[in-house]
Amino acid sequence: MAAAAETSFDRSRRRRRFWARKARGSVPYGLILPILVVIAVILGYPLYWLVKLSTERYGLFDLIRHSGVSVGLANYRSVLHDPVFWHTLVRTIVFTAANVVLTMVIGTLLALLLVQVSTVVRILLTSGLVLVWSMPVVVAVQIWYWMTNYQNGVVNYVLTKLGVGDFFQHDWYATTFSQLGLTTLLIVWGSLPFVVITLYAGLAQVPHDLVEAAEVDGARPWRVFRDITLPILRPILLILTSLSIIWDFGVFTQPYLLIGQAKITTGNYLMSIYLFEEGYFKSDYGRGAAISLLMLLMVAALSIVYVRKMVRIGEAQ
Amino acid sequence: MKRRSIVALCLVAVLAAAVTTATTLGATKKATAGSITVWLQTDAQSGWPGVVAAANQQFQSDHPGTTVNVQYQNWGDHLQKFDATLAGGGGPDVIEMGNTEMTKYMAAGAFAALDRSSFDNSSSWLKGLAASGAYGGKTYGVPYYAGSRVVTYRKDLFQKAGIAKLPATTAQYVADAKRLAAKNQKKGFSPIYTAGTDWYFAMSFVFDYGGSIAQQVSGKWKGMLNSPKSIAGLAAYKAFFLATSKASKTTDETHPNPYDVYAQGLAASMIGPSWFTCCVGKAYTPNTGQFVMPGHVKGQAIPGFLGGSDLAVPVTSSNKSLAADWIKDFTSTSSEKALQAKGNIPNATNLLGSSVNERAAARSWFVPTAKHWVDVENGNILRNMLAQILTNKLSIKQAAASASDNIASVLNQP
Repeated sequence: MAAAAETSFDRSRRRRRFWARKARGSVPYGLILPILVVIAVILGYPLYWLVKLSTERYGLFDLIRHSGVSVGLANYRSVLHDPVFWHTLVRTIVFTAANVVLTMVIGTLLALLLVQVSTVVRILLTSGLVLVWSMPVVVAVQIWYWMTNYQNGVVNYVLTKLGVGDFFQHDWYATTFSQLGLTTLLIVWGSLPFVVITLYAGLAQVPHDLVEAAEVDGARPWRVFRDITLPILRPILLILTSLSIIWDFGVFTQPYLLIGQAKITTGNYLMSIYLFEEGYFKSDYGRGAAISLLMLLMVAALSIVYVRKMVRIGEAQ
Repeated sequence: MKRRSIVALCLVAVLAAAVTTATTLGATKKATAGSITVWLQTDAQSGWPGVVAAANQQFQSDHPGTTVNVQYQNWGDHLQKFDATLAGGGGPDVIEMGNTEMTKYMAAGAFAALDRSSFDNSSSWLKGLAASGAYGGKTYGVPYYAGSRVVTYRKDLFQKAGIAKLPATTAQYVADAKRLAAKNQKKGFSPIYTAGTDWYFAMSFVFDYGGSIAQQVSGKWKGMLNSPKSIAGLAAYKAFFLATSKASKTTDETHPNPYDVYAQGLAASMIGPSWFTCCVGKAYTPNTGQFVMPGHVKGQAIPGFLGGSDLAVPVTSSNKSLAADWIKDFTSTSSEKALQAKGNIPNATNLLGSSVNERAAARSWFVPTAKHWVDVENGNILRNMLAQILTNKLSIKQAAASASDNIASVLNQP
């Protein structure tokens, strides 16, 4: 009898402890629940419809009826069998790599420069960067277009005056290489402020005594950068690089507006433009959805690599 | 169901996740019973705003209290905007469509059928334009106006160069251009300004030499640009452009607008719609004249692209009868005459006069009437081919063959 009472007492105590532990364990989940709900609504719901749309034949006719016809994976098959898709993918990867490398290298150099210069110069430089940052993309594109205009672009004028060569009526948009090259310049110019200012903030965390100690031990500037500055900046560089990749891979406004609709052909597509032309211009929304999902998967795959690295850095620290 | 599709569509936009397309439409206000929304092209805004205002006034006196909200669109992106409104609502009650754009939309059921007999002069509408607005025996598009392409030129410069008679053949025109160039040594001066990838003009040479863009052979489209006659036309275009124009070889006819180049004094003549006289600048207006572009055979005009616009009522409009009434006012005999006075070709044969534009239209060509033709235009297949030819990136034969294949595969899509 006593033993039985004890057991039931133990059991109820154990049960209480179990629930207490459970409750304590679920607190973190409860805390992230609101944000999960928000993400599910803002991202998950549209994503669900996107996936659905990508499995439907959804053209102009279906658009007017407001309902598509299910076709399974036909949209994906047609995209993956389209040689234009593969050419565009390779072009976009090269384009992204060029943009990201240029942005990161120039950005890092400018941030290091900011640390070295006098306060006045630093304020001037920072103000310049912030001005670039605050310029709306569409306005920036228009100004770049004017500057490189065939008929009376100021770039042509200045280059000619400087004696670099005869740039009168030079056609900056004649080849795919120069079209994308100009777009790269514009994108790098526009993304430098964010990179420089973020890295400059990161550089403020490099302990002075550490640098001085290294210098006293005879370390050259490059050595100091490689062994002291770089390891401290690494997490920031990682996140900036991954963000740049995501942005540059899907960039649309700059290439589309700078090159101009009348010059967009399958020969100079970037992924986002391919998506736009196939989805919107050809009114093939199902196929457009399939392309966008493929793009999303590629960016997601890249992101996972970086997120894992970030986590590892976090654990190491 | 409707909301689902709206969400679905928004998605493509959203999803293009990083893409963030810039083409956000200035969300058109939902039309109330007391107002209709009209989408016209900017051509009307710069060329004949008075005609639009007069039609609005007429409409408002017939329908007191109803306002007309005219929104000007660009050819480049008006269809994308229109598609978005088909999905999401808030679209126009009347839309101006290019005659090459109609088929795709009529086939998809985007427009409401109209009562042809209720419009002025409908029994004598221009055949080509009326055909572009008819589908399955019903009328969906009301012809608005047509236009051919003519030469706009500086009389003073022609005189100074000693050109007494207007050219009667393409070769004579090129010879005149050389004299004009000799008299005007300014850098960047074009005796005949044409944009390198102005395919409307370039195809005129193709048709002048007996070629064509595509033809239907037993139900299938066949690209014809690589035929010997088409290639002869393309070669003639290349020679003509290189000898007469200093425009970019890769630019289109709106970057810059030819009349802007002309107004800067950098062209002795230019090719384009006859309403180009609108914008040649005050200084040159008194000395500006027009003539029909000659073909390579003496006495024959070069075939000009017969462009034109139709007015249609989208199925999504909630004011279809008001919309049709506005179209009636805008295409009335008096309105069409006013358009004619601005240099356009009116929509009916009984109104035709003998202006330079109307004479040029006597010999004309039109794009293949295929459902997917508009995809050929938007895909810039012809522009790309012209850029390749003019920059010597490809030989004429290679460029024409590749464009021809592309066109066939686009037109033969299901």
